[in-house]
Amino acid sequence: MEKIQKGTVKNIEKIAKDTFKIEIQSNVKNAFAGQFISILCPPKTLRRPFSIRGYKDGVIEVFFKLKGEGTNYIKSLKIGDNIDFLGPLGQGFRVENKRVLLVGAGIGIAPVLFLKDELNKKNVQSFLISGFKDDDEVIEGSDKTVVGGSVVDYLPELIEKFKPDVICSCGPHIVLKLISELAQKYNIEAQVAMEKVFACQIGVCRGCVIQIQKDGKVQNATICHDGPVFLGSEVVWN
Amino acid sequence: MELKIANFKLNNPIITASGTFGYADEFEDFCDVSKIGAIVTKGMTLEPRPGNSGDRIFETDCGMINRIGLENIGIESFLENKLPILKKKNINFILNVAGSCFEDYFKMAEIANDNNIEAIELNVSCPNVKEGCLEFGVDKNALYELVLGVRKNYKGCLIVKLTPNVTRIEDLAIAVKDAGADAISAINTLKGLGIKLDFINGKFYKKEVQGGLSGKCIKPVALAQVKRIRQVCDLPIIAMGGISTLYDIFEFISAGADFFQIGTQNFTEPNCAVNLVCELEEFICKNGFKDFIELKTAIKEIK
Repeated sequence: MEKIQKGTVKNIEKIAKDTFKIEIQSNVKNAFAGQFISILCPPKTLRRPFSIRGYKDGVIEVFFKLKGEGTNYIKSLKIGDNIDFLGPLGQGFRVENKRVLLVGAGIGIAPVLFLKDELNKKNVQSFLISGFKDDDEVIEGSDKTVVGGSVVDYLPELIEKFKPDVICSCGPHIVLKLISELAQKYNIEAQVAMEKVFACQIGVCRGCVIQIQKDGKVQNATICHDGPVFLGSEVVWN
Repeated sequence: MELKIANFKLNNPIITASGTFGYADEFEDFCDVSKIGAIVTKGMTLEPRPGNSGDRIFETDCGMINRIGLENIGIESFLENKLPILKKKNINFILNVAGSCFEDYFKMAEIANDNNIEAIELNVSCPNVKEGCLEFGVDKNALYELVLGVRKNYKGCLIVKLTPNVTRIEDLAIAVKDAGADAISAINTLKGLGIKLDFINGKFYKKEVQGGLSGKCIKPVALAQVKRIRQVCDLPIIAMGGISTLYDIFEFISAGADFFQIGTQNFTEPNCAVNLVCELEEFICKNGFKDFIELKTAIKEIK
């Protein structure tokens, strides 16, 4: 029952082109980077999942980009409006005290910004690089921002310089695939936060499965429940 | 309010539909599963199935299309890993049974019988691989033979879930009754196609998903099919198709239904079934009905 939340909008503001930040006051007790919440967007049938950008004292923060009816509904909400969401859901990043290279592509920066905050609190060293298509799409908060090019092109140099134990990333499928391949080449662990259309949000409908290699065999895993964060090395990349 | 389908007892007429509620334990953080009349398990086959590759979900106006492809853990793993949990938590359940040939269903029926599973629901919308992949549920003779064979091997409550993708659902309902089924559930998903086109940087991109349409958009079709079944068949009808409110339930009663399955709405509102159980009880108490049966009779009498 505690995963069904009736929150209220505390703040909503534009942070980049077609991109917004929403803060939701709720009864959520804790949340971890890589987890997500699923917002009910009437009259749409399916809830919209969003990576958590931050959490403090019951306030959950997420970023969203206008894509269609669901995100337009969220944008139409005003401060004080009710918002129905499920969460926090899914398995987040697990980094302990490792040196972490954080990579965010586009709005995929949200969970890695959250992870950066968590690591800063624990005095764990991290470096965040992010990539955006255009200047007006840039979301602030990175140690390095790439505009127009591919963020992956900058990683070999960063890996040599920063010498991370693990790369944590979120972004489009192709970016995560390339990062996983690169991590393998450098013999570094990669953790990737993946995305697909979700129906149930909790692993029962099997609508968002990917294949992973685990315990010596290829098996199905749901992004919403077994993920969204997976080891790059266990994902069967198509 | 204790109700029965053959010898299968339910505390109320609200049931969660196959494929939308997993094996029930997944919903513990979202609702008190034990309050639901019964849950129907994910469609189960003799062997585990990985399901379809590629996109499996497509959202439509007021609904969704799925092509999961019956991904499931297989009956052996169900008996070993899920059945003990359902029993321990006292969750009333119906095993949904699927197969690719007659023998699959007969064997599943035998296993269900041997394991004292009180109720099964046959998914007859699966292709019969030995007969040109024609679905069992679209041919009244094949359906009769299928249900008859299952009935021989299974003594519990036998429910058959009819597909709406037929010309005359009445013929299928009669075949199912003649073969000895205890109840009919209707309807399974409608065949649908979702196409999404995007035009980005001068180029078209297409996403296409063909599968089963469900959700609020199918309610009028489901109501019509339930009414047609009721006109020719006196078996209990477990209705489904776009149910999300108490008045949806009342409308299905009016069309001839006795029990109700919540499907796609479990995704939108994971506590929908439990809420409906409470709302139904409250409606009965507040408005002076003795029990659900009396309410059902009153609605059926409305001209």
